[in-house]
Amino acid sequence: MSLESAVLKKLGQGAPEWLCRRREHAWNVYKNTPLPTTQSEEWRYTDLSQIVDLESLKFLLPGDVDLNGSLPEILEGVLNENRTASGSSFLVDGLTTNIDSEASLSAQGVIFTSLRSAVEDYSDLLEEHLAVEALPPEKGKFEALNAAFWTDGVLLYVPRGVNIKLPFRTVNYLSHAGSAVCTRTLIIAEAGSQVSYVEEIISEDFDEITLASSSLEVIAKEGAQVQFVSIQQSGHGVFCQSAQRTLAHRDSILNTLNVGLGGSVSRVDLNSQLLGSGAKSDMLGIYFGDQNQCFDHNTSQDHVASNSGSDLLYKGALDGSSRAAFRGIIRVHPGAQGTDAYQTNRNLLLSDNARADSLPNLEIEADDVKCSHGATIGQLDKEALFYLLSRGLSRQQAERLVVLGFLGDVMSRLPLGDVVDEVTQAIEQKLLTHA
Amino acid sequence: MSSTPILKIDGLYAKVVDQDISILKGLDLELQQGEIHAIMGPNGSGKSTLAKVLAGHPGYEATAGEVIYRGEPILEMDPEERACAGVFLAFQYPVEIPGVSIANFLRTALQARLEGDDEVDLFDFQDELIERMKLLDMDPSFAERPINDGFSGGEKKRNEILQMAVLRPSLALMDETDSGLDIDALKIVANGVNKLREEDPEMTVLLITHYQRILNYINPDKVHVMVDGKIVQSGGPEVALELEDQGYSDWKEI
Repeated sequence: MSLESAVLKKLGQGAPEWLCRRREHAWNVYKNTPLPTTQSEEWRYTDLSQIVDLESLKFLLPGDVDLNGSLPEILEGVLNENRTASGSSFLVDGLTTNIDSEASLSAQGVIFTSLRSAVEDYSDLLEEHLAVEALPPEKGKFEALNAAFWTDGVLLYVPRGVNIKLPFRTVNYLSHAGSAVCTRTLIIAEAGSQVSYVEEIISEDFDEITLASSSLEVIAKEGAQVQFVSIQQSGHGVFCQSAQRTLAHRDSILNTLNVGLGGSVSRVDLNSQLLGSGAKSDMLGIYFGDQNQCFDHNTSQDHVASNSGSDLLYKGALDGSSRAAFRGIIRVHPGAQGTDAYQTNRNLLLSDNARADSLPNLEIEADDVKCSHGATIGQLDKEALFYLLSRGLSRQQAERLVVLGFLGDVMSRLPLGDVVDEVTQAIEQKLLTHA
Repeated sequence: MSSTPILKIDGLYAKVVDQDISILKGLDLELQQGEIHAIMGPNGSGKSTLAKVLAGHPGYEATAGEVIYRGEPILEMDPEERACAGVFLAFQYPVEIPGVSIANFLRTALQARLEGDDEVDLFDFQDELIERMKLLDMDPSFAERPINDGFSGGEKKRNEILQMAVLRPSLALMDETDSGLDIDALKIVANGVNKLREEDPEMTVLLITHYQRILNYINPDKVHVMVDGKIVQSGGPEVALELEDQGYSDWKEI
């Protein structure tokens, strides 16, 4: 089924009225929002008209997906890794196939469930927060698309004061070439709670462009601590579009890490809102492109309340004829005195055909603030390479080590050891193809 | 002098790539296995260029002459081939490589020395690393730090000695390892070199320095004076002491 209101009808079957209205509204916003062009500053480096024709994609619906009971090899691999987690879920083409979590957690009131079943079981909670508080459809074309056509996703709710050590994990797997899959994640951490959540996107390689649209909404209440990690390792042909908005209330810590390794085109829009005094947000990013891959990051740090802090570090390595664009802005709103905000983007070009563009920006409307931003685009340091060669490393080993160090450095601030190891391995795996 | 020298430099001319002026101008030098030689000379005499040319730095080019290491000409060899053949350069300015731990780096360097599918055993390597650090009185946590990242001058030089201890070269080229060190750091570094030499008396050392003071702690078999790209005087340790008294001024007119 392609993009039309009949899809909405099907998605609305048996759904509460508020949700049908919300989808309908998002669909109207979508129709009235033109596709962004490279004329707009925020889409200067990604020409959507060359990438995807949204009207021609096949929007998968419940019932369209049939795995005949057998899991694809790539997913079996992930399942067999036997990760330690507080809970895990698997989505195949936008629908949850498995989800479970520690029984002791639900006894404490923790909710980790598919968004589809949350519509039935936690309708009030969704009505209050879903696609209305953090990411309403008015945020943009894709935000509207996702709010209208999401098929499933994850709801993670952590009650007041509950501290969960191990992360929750989700794997999103795509199998249909030429399809569009819209999923959402909603994380609500009540006051004083602690939780971490790791999501991965994986897929086959596709001949036709395939859209993976995801929306992330995180709400950290007073003093809550939330870690969000996204690891994007989809296959060739995938356009990964991710809109993320995080709301950090008073004294909360809300950290994110976006790792981009796969896909043909990857676009991340991340907006971190520092809404309460003392709120802090570390925003980390790693991307590593080769062949014709494109990575486009558009970030913003909104300091609304006083004495809040944000620290962004995005690092990327680009091989082959891959491209990266980074556009980031720190906005210090009037009255947000005592803001500490930093923004750094570093790029390493590994080939003459690779390219990176970086546009850091500041918009400061308060006078007592500490802000800085910086961007670098450079090549492998020849002296560093000679240093390693002079110890006997081959050129290939030396380059891999420098790249791994350059990218891995970002994770020194991430407290999730297992995840750091996994990401490191994924980067190492990709580096094996670097000649 | 009977045996074949481990290193024989014959009429070596070298320059910076893309520039026309020679820095080394017909340099001759011979080191027998197990000897410690010191090359002293004023700034700009070409001492560091010699070290870099011997290690195969791509920014330098030998234009004439020959360098024979263990009977093989090495000027055409890549830096990594020379390293695997036992040549080690302790850098004057060790490079910072963020995000790569010393341990990971050294394991990769040892791996590079193995043939085919052989792999460095992780546990053997850990044991070896700890043992080498003990020998040099270093804290084991040092190896987990990223290479030279945020290190003090003394730490950087100790890191060079640690690498030398793990990689066990046949020929160690030490490029102004003493520069920028206070007397305590200098003693630590010199002690490290002496310990490695005690352990392996076959290790040959070419010590490049501007100052005599490191020779109070490391006893050279021979001392050479280098001026304007050539060796102008060679002798025993007494040469260094004469230089200490007279400085390099006598040589300036040459």
